[in-house]
Amino acid sequence: MTDEIDTPPAPGPAATPRHLAPGEVGLVTPRDFVHPEPFRFSSGQTLPGFTLRYETYGTLGVTRDNAVLICHALSGDHHCAGHHTPEDRKPGWWNNLIGPGKAVDTNRFFVVCANVLGGCQGSTGPTSLDPATGRPYGVAFPFVTIHDMVHAQKLLLNHLGVASLHAVIGGSMGGMQALQFSISYPAFTRRVLAMATTSREGAQAIAFNEVGRQAIMQDRDWNNGDYPKGGGPRTGLAIARMMAHITYVSDASMDRKFGRRKKDGANGNGYTFGTQFEVEGYLRHQGQAFINRFDANSYLYITRALDHFDLAQAYGSLEAAFAAVQAETLVVGFTSDWLFPPEQNRTIAHALLRAGKRASYAELTTDLGHDSFLLESEELYNLVRGFLDRSDPPVFDFSI
Amino acid sequence: MSPQVEKRTVDMQIIGEWVEPGAKVLDLGCGRGALLDYLVQTKDVSAVGVDLSFSRITACVTRGLSAYQGDMHAFMREFPDRHFDRVICSRTVQELDDPTAVILEALRVGRAVTVGFVNHGFWKNRVDALLRGRKVRNEVYTTEWFESRPANPLTIADFENFCAVKGIRVARRVHLSGNWRTPRVVLPNLLAGYALYDLTK
Repeated sequence: MTDEIDTPPAPGPAATPRHLAPGEVGLVTPRDFVHPEPFRFSSGQTLPGFTLRYETYGTLGVTRDNAVLICHALSGDHHCAGHHTPEDRKPGWWNNLIGPGKAVDTNRFFVVCANVLGGCQGSTGPTSLDPATGRPYGVAFPFVTIHDMVHAQKLLLNHLGVASLHAVIGGSMGGMQALQFSISYPAFTRRVLAMATTSREGAQAIAFNEVGRQAIMQDRDWNNGDYPKGGGPRTGLAIARMMAHITYVSDASMDRKFGRRKKDGANGNGYTFGTQFEVEGYLRHQGQAFINRFDANSYLYITRALDHFDLAQAYGSLEAAFAAVQAETLVVGFTSDWLFPPEQNRTIAHALLRAGKRASYAELTTDLGHDSFLLESEELYNLVRGFLDRSDPPVFDFSI
Repeated sequence: MSPQVEKRTVDMQIIGEWVEPGAKVLDLGCGRGALLDYLVQTKDVSAVGVDLSFSRITACVTRGLSAYQGDMHAFMREFPDRHFDRVICSRTVQELDDPTAVILEALRVGRAVTVGFVNHGFWKNRVDALLRGRKVRNEVYTTEWFESRPANPLTIADFENFCAVKGIRVARRVHLSGNWRTPRVVLPNLLAGYALYDLTK
């Protein structure tokens, strides 16, 4: 996901504070779930325990079945809605979708979102201290898969007393987790909403991940993953982010936003390698913003988890992967997404239907690229709301 | 109910009679899902619809139906032979780019194919064309040509000819008069307003 530079100005003293506006979940506080027992990764490696940092919005009902799990993408985190402090300029990353009366209605649903295992926003990952050495794990951390991320989140949901999920929702890597969740815990999962995702990380996506990893690992400060907190391969990580950012948007959206506009004060004739174009300055900003909030080793681990994701290979075929699924699934593709193009999203719906499952596919026309799943779109909200609201048998009407 | 809605209901009821309870049904051009909703409720079918617009898919999903946004021909190619018990093509056939390919593909993925269409050979449509000299406009086709989707108006005789030429077996046929209610056996191409066919290979 992209870090947007533009945030609206802070409200004046007379205005309603942002976090108190209608439809806002308000102030939220992250919490830590500590799983004190050994955790076995798909790789066979184990950890003595782990921590997941998470947030919840809304209330778990008496039947404990109104939970909605939100799964984040590669660079996302557990803070998907609300504000941490009244002064926060930016709310959680999916604040437009989640809140009282919004498409994912926190008046109705108990929304849970956790930072993934292997992440660096408070959950156990390569920056965590290895109790055996007292130093960060670095690349001694176990290899993480999408399956492991989902497994850890299931343990969190058990801890929270969730009996079953009304829905699991995610875009991009979050969509992979949502699909994996319904495969791994079929009786626990009633609805899957997977957007801008894939059942199989393709060669192009692996290739982009590899360029990012090489940028990190070729940076001398990476030092085989052994670097102090706050240090490390800042140049490499920034370059990885700049490159990845391009894959999240589109030719049309970048051109609309920047065109060929020059930076203020840029040398008129342009015969220099300093920042000339606005798009260059924007990407540099993206890179710099990212290194202040993300860990390079986590980036390596999570991109590897993406690379390893191939449901057909893991289960023999995509139909076999979905054989146990009990949930109804809605897959949403976006026309301008060239990282996980519509065709890869359709493939998921085809296989689910071939396997005799309830599955739908919708495709939104946008020119914003892969990150379109974060779009502020009434059409998308209506679809999500419609999918989540269909709890009762539909009443027949004759409108066509 | 308006006459238009009533006509749609008649269509649904006959299609419903042909659908086996619990069948696996594919609706090509499912619109907002009214027919599938009816079949789910009356016949407990497991249904999926295909349509092209995001808003119609949203309507289907909101109704609790499975729906797929995309090209129906490409969609069917993703399924093995006889995956569906029945494929329904209700008032869609006149708007297809390649009707032969779609109907043959439907006969591959479905054990039976239901086709329903307005008979443009109905005498009122002929008289209308003769006297007004304009595109047919009535309670079903309400729009001017320039506000309509491209269409291949077909007649019962056209469709019978199509089945004969392509060697498609007609298991059942129902021709309804102009009110889409009373069966019309004599001179259907002239006297029937609506036709329903149940096709097999």
